[in-house]
Amino acid sequence: MRLYLLLFLLLLVAGVLAVLVGSGDLTNPELRDTFLKLRGYRLVAAFLAGSALAVGGVVVQGLFRNPLASPSVLGTTAGASFGGQVALFSYGIAGLGGGFVVPEMIVPIGCFIGALGALAILLLFVRVTQDLLALLLTGFVLSALFLSLSGLLTSIAQETWELGRAIVSFSLGSVSGTGPRQLSFAFPLVAAALAACWFWGRPLDLLLSGEEEALSMGANVDTVRWWSAVWVSVLVASAVSLGGNVGFVGLVVPHMLRPFAGTKHQRLIPAAALAGGIFLVSCDILARLIPSRSEIPLGVVTGLIGAPLFLLLLIKLRREHAYA
Amino acid sequence: MLDGDVQMALRAQSVTVALGGRTVLRDIDVEANPGEVLALLGPNGAGKSTLLKALAGLLPYEGNVEIGGVEVASLPPRKRAKRVSYVPQRSLLRSALSVEEVVALGRYVHGMGFGGMSKRDRDAIDEALATAHADVLRDRVFTRLSVGEQQRVLLARALASDAPILLMDEPTAALDVGEGLSVLRLIRTLAARKHTVVVVLHDLADARTTTDRAILLKEGRVVEKGDTEDVVALEPIRAAYGVRLIENARIGFEPDTEALRAD
Repeated sequence: MRLYLLLFLLLLVAGVLAVLVGSGDLTNPELRDTFLKLRGYRLVAAFLAGSALAVGGVVVQGLFRNPLASPSVLGTTAGASFGGQVALFSYGIAGLGGGFVVPEMIVPIGCFIGALGALAILLLFVRVTQDLLALLLTGFVLSALFLSLSGLLTSIAQETWELGRAIVSFSLGSVSGTGPRQLSFAFPLVAAALAACWFWGRPLDLLLSGEEEALSMGANVDTVRWWSAVWVSVLVASAVSLGGNVGFVGLVVPHMLRPFAGTKHQRLIPAAALAGGIFLVSCDILARLIPSRSEIPLGVVTGLIGAPLFLLLLIKLRREHAYA
Repeated sequence: MLDGDVQMALRAQSVTVALGGRTVLRDIDVEANPGEVLALLGPNGAGKSTLLKALAGLLPYEGNVEIGGVEVASLPPRKRAKRVSYVPQRSLLRSALSVEEVVALGRYVHGMGFGGMSKRDRDAIDEALATAHADVLRDRVFTRLSVGEQQRVLLARALASDAPILLMDEPTAALDVGEGLSVLRLIRTLAARKHTVVVVLHDLADARTTTDRAILLKEGRVVEKGDTEDVVALEPIRAAYGVRLIENARIGFEPDTEALRAD
């Protein structure tokens, strides 16, 4: 209970700062409302994306029984990212997709199609082999494939200055352009996936003892694995659609929380949803604070903070033999 | 005690298991009844653990394995786990769960527990911890326990499920003499409470003192089966292990009642 109190307090502080901090002048009465509105959207987007990534991290770390797993191991993050880039590219070059949906929804929808495509390939392979290692390796291969395709697209896009810039900016991650439409698209998806992950918490606890023991204790291992992959994909697709490519949240946040919230999923998942959101909102505030000609990309900030933080946690964990 | 005092027998007929294209068990019949401890014996690689996993429904098999008259492979995982619980030799758990949390995992078969644990869940956990003499370990982190302590907790986890059939894979391996003795005594207690217990054992002297009947395996086939006294005997042991059994040659141990009382 004390943990939740602390998390809500931190959320409050981060929320207030997220609205107050930024380059816009809040004393200008004409622009104040617009600035506040934009920062509000940004705050919600960062919170949702952070929650989604942190809970995705909790689930894959349990599923693979590997504290080094991050939600991107399934390959769906790279798929979502590639889908978003394809959407940007085809709209930018030929205006494709503009006839069906409003322009700001093209990238989120592209992200979802990309993530679902990656998930479909993943599940097709895993259904054949029914093996955790196969899931991991297929995810790895998919990530590599989609990263290469993204690289190809980025290099082609460089021929047009504006488009090249948009695609690079998307792949570095940012929540600055998020509006109410993206939020109302992503919010129900994130909320449903978070609830579903919590719902699967107990069988995920059983899986911490390995598949055979989980099966012997009554978990339907194949079903748990299948649905976990689906919900993690929905979470990362939502996160990518809101903030582009943002790393380290899903890796670091679950680790930071375990000493306080324990390992049981139904306790860890709500805490991770809060802490992940707070972490990404704080990173977004920092992105605005660091002096630079344009804003520092969010993905760069999470990496710069996440990597040293993760190393510190690793040293601490080794000292405590938590994973000995 | 068992959930509603359910008693169940385990019967397997012509069980054949192939792993990776190699037949590791051929045509094995098993019968175990409530109140009885059945030992699976045999040299390394004989197929004891494989047979145990097949009986638990954890491996694909040919033939029939019936628990309480129902084919084990036809049951969904949770219904199966409600009838038969399996205690592995070592757990693969590496996460920092407390002993109480580990034992609570055994209650998964009785519901998803959205509103937390029911009084019935908590009572079953308390009783399982007490039966396995693991109640003093309740708040300790499972991964930081000794092997013997972990074994008792795994047993408590299996007991918490209230399954009437208990399958144990070498529960005394890697335990010291005192810990081993305490686990063997526990096995007898469970049989007295009308559990059906099947246990893989390496130590033939332990099998003699603790189990009622035994199946002796070698290279996936039955060498001998029947009362443990008749199975752990000169000829079958020679056939399975290639050693001569000498009666009364080993030193034995028994619980020190005074020391136990002092505990």
